[in-house]
Amino acid sequence: MSVREFFVSRYEELGWKYEDVELKQAVRMNLMNARKADVTKRLESLGIELEKIPFLECGYWIRKSEFSVGATSEYLLGLYSIQEAAAQIPATLFTRLKDKIVLDACAAPGGKTVQLANLMQNTGAIIAVDVKKRRLIALSNQLERCRVRNAIVYHMDARQASQLKMKFDRILLDVPCSGNFVTDKDWFNKRTIKDVEKNSKLQRQILAEAAKVLKNDGEMVYATCSLEPEEDELNIDWAVKNLNLQVEKISCYGEKASTNIFGRQLDNSIENCRRIWPRRTQGFFVCKLKKSACMQ
Amino acid sequence: MKKINDFVSRVGAKINLDKDLTVKNQNRYFLLNKNLNRLISKDFFCAGVYLGKTKSGRFFPSFNLLTMVAEGKSNKIVVDEKTAWLFICGRDVFKQGIINVKGSKRKGDCALIINRHGECLGFGKILCNLDREIEGVVVKNISDIGDFLRREKHQT
Repeated sequence: MSVREFFVSRYEELGWKYEDVELKQAVRMNLMNARKADVTKRLESLGIELEKIPFLECGYWIRKSEFSVGATSEYLLGLYSIQEAAAQIPATLFTRLKDKIVLDACAAPGGKTVQLANLMQNTGAIIAVDVKKRRLIALSNQLERCRVRNAIVYHMDARQASQLKMKFDRILLDVPCSGNFVTDKDWFNKRTIKDVEKNSKLQRQILAEAAKVLKNDGEMVYATCSLEPEEDELNIDWAVKNLNLQVEKISCYGEKASTNIFGRQLDNSIENCRRIWPRRTQGFFVCKLKKSACMQ
Repeated sequence: MKKINDFVSRVGAKINLDKDLTVKNQNRYFLLNKNLNRLISKDFFCAGVYLGKTKSGRFFPSFNLLTMVAEGKSNKIVVDEKTAWLFICGRDVFKQGIINVKGSKRKGDCALIINRHGECLGFGKILCNLDREIEGVVVKNISDIGDFLRREKHQT
């Protein structure tokens, strides 16, 4: 069995039949810098055809453009960001972000950090950390371009977040993952189940550290762009059983996650997670976790 | 702080930065709010509003600082759409592309370049008195927001 056949057969076992997907480019309006209607009007006047993404408040697909949407003056002025549709979902799952202290634990290159700043209306504070120093330059450029004012960026491994000596109201864990074949055409030639297991281990370490620095009643959103259950449902099942976290119900695009993975029965609350199979977006997994005060 | 204030006065403006909230990290300056100031620790990479950096004794303003300065009274040159695009591409400003000048028109002064939406695209140096009836390049591009793209290319 080839690597491709191996992974595709796993997807079938999880209930999804493999199909080739052409990824549509998407943008997100930065409401702290401009009104949606003004930006769409300006882009349309440049000949860019937009299509509103039905499951996102500020997201648009690029239906047609004669040139790169990353090279318009509107982009350079921070009026919008280029961000894949599914990747726009995690930050929107938090409640009451205004004035909160938020940890963006694997922040670079910064698309979600900018989105958080928008949702927070530049109030409170975002502590954005990333382990790769080179990627922090891209992150700081994004923050400058999009006029983010409420972030502090550190060069730090998310697994050492307790060194910040802070507790957070909200934590975004957009963890490093194996990715998926939609965004990487060579994915099946590059990945093995060993990579998936290695990433899963790293993700559990990040989850464990994040659980330590999350305030009681705080919210944590966990997201990957991996289709592999070891990085998704199985990790969250582990977190529920070992980190005193509970999975919250969410309302967003995607299917309920399965509570039975390859014959293994998971906690019933795992069905509150959302699995997004590639079709209108790339592959994605997202869930919201809560740390209850009574669980301490 | 002096370098920032010197630059701001070169574009005919004034800025009142709170000393206690302006921090320096190596050669880069940042403006914090009280909340960030309470939370920040020494080893930060960047924070709050990036104001600019010094290199070889010269101050290079950030686009955030230029935008802050553009909100108040300052030297501003409003340009047409084509000129705005060329400016972002790193080109100088031709006299015929100027719609309006606010503040100094004097040779040697600096001015912010503003598009028809009132957004700051960067700044340049006035090459000849703008009152004079001349054609050709009148403002030299010193810094423009196209720099974000050039930085991206530099990184990859």
